[in-house]
Formats: sequence, C-alpha cells, structure tokens
Amino acid sequence: MSSLGMGLLRRTIAEVETFIHRLDPRTKFIFFLWISAFAYVFCDYAITAILLAACLALAAYARVLKPIGLTILIIVVPWMAVDVFVLGLGPFQFPWNETEIFRFNIFGYEVPLYYEGTAWGVTWPLRIGVCISSAMLFFLTTNQARLVSLLVRLKLPYRYIYMVMATLQMIPMLMDEANTIYQAQVSRGLRTDVSLLKRALHYIALMVPLTLSTIYKVQVRAIALESRGFSAPVRKTILYRTTFGKEDYMFFAAMTAATAVLLYVYFTYGFSPIAGMRFYLFES
Amino acid sequence: MPEYIIDVERLSYSYPRKSNVLIDVSFKVKKGEVLGIIGPNGAGKSTLCKALNGLVPHFYGGKFAGKVIVAGMNTLEHSVAELATKVGLVFQDPEEQLSGVTLTVYEEVAFGLSMLGFPKEEIDHRVREAIKKVGLEGLEWRSPFELSGGQTQRLAIATALALEPEVLVLDEPTAQLDPIGKFEVFSVIKKLADEGSTIVVVEHEIEELATFADNILMLNEGRVVAYGPARRVLTMVEELKKYEVNPPSVTELTYLLNKTLGTKLEVPITLEEAIKIYGEALGVM
Repeated sequence: MSSLGMGLLRRTIAEVETFIHRLDPRTKFIFFLWISAFAYVFCDYAITAILLAACLALAAYARVLKPIGLTILIIVVPWMAVDVFVLGLGPFQFPWNETEIFRFNIFGYEVPLYYEGTAWGVTWPLRIGVCISSAMLFFLTTNQARLVSLLVRLKLPYRYIYMVMATLQMIPMLMDEANTIYQAQVSRGLRTDVSLLKRALHYIALMVPLTLSTIYKVQVRAIALESRGFSAPVRKTILYRTTFGKEDYMFFAAMTAATAVLLYVYFTYGFSPIAGMRFYLFES
Repeated sequence: MPEYIIDVERLSYSYPRKSNVLIDVSFKVKKGEVLGIIGPNGAGKSTLCKALNGLVPHFYGGKFAGKVIVAGMNTLEHSVAELATKVGLVFQDPEEQLSGVTLTVYEEVAFGLSMLGFPKEEIDHRVREAIKKVGLEGLEWRSPFELSGGQTQRLAIATALALEPEVLVLDEPTAQLDPIGKFEVFSVIKKLADEGSTIVVVEHEIEELATFADNILMLNEGRVVAYGPARRVLTMVEELKKYEVNPPSVTELTYLLNKTLGTKLEVPITLEEAIKIYGEALGVM
C-alpha cells in the first residue's frame, strides 16, 4: 500500500518517538482544550497567531508538521481570504468597519479596505486553525491503544470506543481505496479533461464502487472481529495504563506559566492587546 | 476429550439469500490432523470454514441443519466469541482481518486476547510466543500497514495462534500473495503441522497441500464429492479434472504415462516422491 492516506496511518507512534508522543493522552487533550479556550478568550490576530505558531512548533518537534500544516493551509488560508474579502472590503458593509487602511481602484471604482473587518477576517480562521492543529497534534501523536485506555477510563462503552477508533483508521484506508478505484476508472476511459459539472457527475462512477467495497470490507472486518472474541461478554483487558509522568508534570508547569502570562496580559491590556480591537457587540 | 476434535455430521446450510450452499456434508478430524479442503469456486469451502467457528449460522443467519462439534462444543449452542478460543480462523485477504484499532504488530496480536479479557502478563507471554511461531520476531513494534503481504498474513495467523485454539482454520491463506508471500505462509503452516497442530486449510495450491495434508475433502456445489487420505484423493486425476481442480503436476504426468504408455509407475503426489519413483524407474537410484 502506498498513498497519502496510508502514509498518514504509518506516520504514527510506530515510527516516531518524541517527548510529545510520550505524554499521557490526557495531557495532550487538556492542552487541546486549554489552547483552544485561549484562542477564543483573546480576540487578537497577533496573540492567536502566536498560539497557532506554538502548536505548529510542537507539531514540527513531534515530526507531524506536514499533515497538520497541509490541513491548515487547505482550511485556514482560503477561509481567511474569503473572510477578509467579505468583511474587510467596503461594499459588503461589515457593520463595525470604521478605520480605512487602504483604498483599491477597481475598474475606476474606489473600494476601501477596513481594519476592523480585516482583523476579524484574519482572527476567526486563525482561531479555528489553533483548534484544528492542537486536535491533530493530539491524534497524530497518541498511540491508539493508549487512547483506547483513556476512553475506557472515561467509562465509555467499548463498542463506541471501537467505532471512534476504527473510523479514524478507516478514513485513510478509504482514501487509499478511492484512489485505486479512481485510477481504475480513468484507465477504463473515465475522462478528466471535462467541465466541472461533468467531473462532478463522474464522481458517481467513483462513489458507487467505493460504497460497495466499503460495505464489503466492513462486513469482512466485522466477521474477523467476531472471530477474535470482540463481542465476548467479559471485561476487556487494557494493554496500557495511562499515568502522568515527569514529562507530563513539566508540560503542565509550562502550561501553568503560560496561563499566568496570558491572564496577566488579559487583565492588564484587555482581550485584544496587540490588534487593539474593540468588543463592538457591547458597545452597540 | 472426544476422539475427534471436529465432528461435522450431515451439515446443510443456506444463506438467507442463497440456498443449498452446503448439502449433507460430513467429515471428522482427529487431533493433530491436517485436513485440506479443495474444490472449484463457489463450492462452499469458505462457508464450511465459517461453520467451524460458528459464524455460520450465528453471524449470517440462514437455514442450518445437521451438527458441527468442535473441541466438544456444539457450534449451534455456543457463541462465536466462546468458540474463538477453540477455533482460530484466518481469511484470505490479510489486510481485511486487521482489527483497525492497533498500530503495531504486538498490539494487533494482543487484540483478540484483550477482547477476551486475558490478564496482561498472559497476553504478553502469548503474544511473544505467537509472534515467534510465525517468524515475525523483530517486527513487534512495526505498523501492520508496513508489512509485506506474506508478513501480514503471518501476522493474521499469529493473531489466531495467540488464542491457542485447538483448531486452526485457514481459508485460502495464500490466495492473494505473491510467490515469496506464499512460500512464507506455507513454511509457517508446515511448521505448525509438524508441531502437531490441528489444521483445516482451504487451498488451491494443490502441490503445496500435498506436502502436508493428511486428508483431503473435495467439495462441489456444496456436496462432498471426495473425502479420504490425501494420497487417495489427489491421485483421483479424472475426478479432480471433472470438478475443475488441477491435480499435482507430477501426479497428472505419471497418471497419463501409465494410461497412455501402459507403464506401471506408482503415482506420486509430491515432487520428492516423483524424483524417487522416476529415479528407481530409470535405474539411477
């Protein structure tokens, strides 16, 4: 097997071992909640960008920057472009626009670009970027067996735990399968040099066999699981015990220090200390 | 302990949407015996395998008649999970039988044991033993998705062996493998057979099957058309051909020589036997 999907599956703890991988899943999950919360507490593109940079730095250290960076590029950048276009440009009348920072001349029309709309348009996608990158950092650096033990500790029924975990592995496998089917269909004459509408219709040729093969694979897997005692009415053994170690406590210490700094900034300089945005909802 | 570890008596089965997949199938397997199941596509071989661990009828439903007793347990009266420690089932596509929730070979082998609630120490011991038996030592912490086809199938066999089943059922374990993968898997099966494991194996590679099977059962359209010692069944060249099953090449060659040239050579079923027989006939041995 060789594809982006399977590559994603392989790039896991089986290959890489850094201190981020060794952290207890709970530590990383708390980090995800913590950094996402601060991304929303502050309404400041600079602070949010710093938080995103912190996530990306950790991802780079854990050697999972490529999938996370790609996801951010695919989701956050286009979203930001649309947001700035809609919120920042004058003709769209974003209600909080006050400060003109630039004026475009488009076909003889003067179009102003406003600071407030631009700042909002940049901040919101960055916030989502922080959430996505920290969540992906959690998933890509956590051994699934340890994740299972965490979910078991949270008293989730094993059937649902399996459903979540299998779905996470199923996605890259389906990407792989879709790629194979697509190549087969193209080899049999499916044209790719056609209009967007026709190309969209061609997806039927991809989706029908993909759906059928997925149903078949799910059934075979269900049989295989059943043969290995999946539905045995016994208490399942969890291979890994999740415990906080020295590295977890150090990570918590760093998070506590960062929390102190961020709270100081918040209470001293407000929720938008660098961007200088105002909370327009209350003012209106 | 019963004399026979598998006792199938007048088994007939129809899937909910396909009738008469198995018709009046009977056979017995002793402890330590290797039973090879052969037959054309659609003969009911895979269904028979699934009947041995209770998937048929518990998972599929359908109409089931007759009796399947494995290790003293009637499959109709016990769940598939209960039978999991008695019968280890390995399918033909190695990737499709991975659990989907593990990231290393070690965890994959441990999956079944943890599902059955074995203690951690026991799991560790059994996993290491099973990995050793299939020759995957050194790959314990490798991702299952990084293994070759042959290695993945050996991993699948290890997942079954870890449960220390009394019977290992292999449903065309080499069907999707390249020659090297086939060689790897057959080596493991032969080793397990030599160690006295009870094995039921569906296989199209008759030449290989001839080297380790004690008995052969041939199915056609759900019925048993031949059953007996491997030598007797595999030398029934005309019968095998009639049911689109190719006998071993050396068997067919010798049969044709005897038939067309009137020679009285003993009919071999393996290459080693053929060398000995032909060597003696030519006076060089």
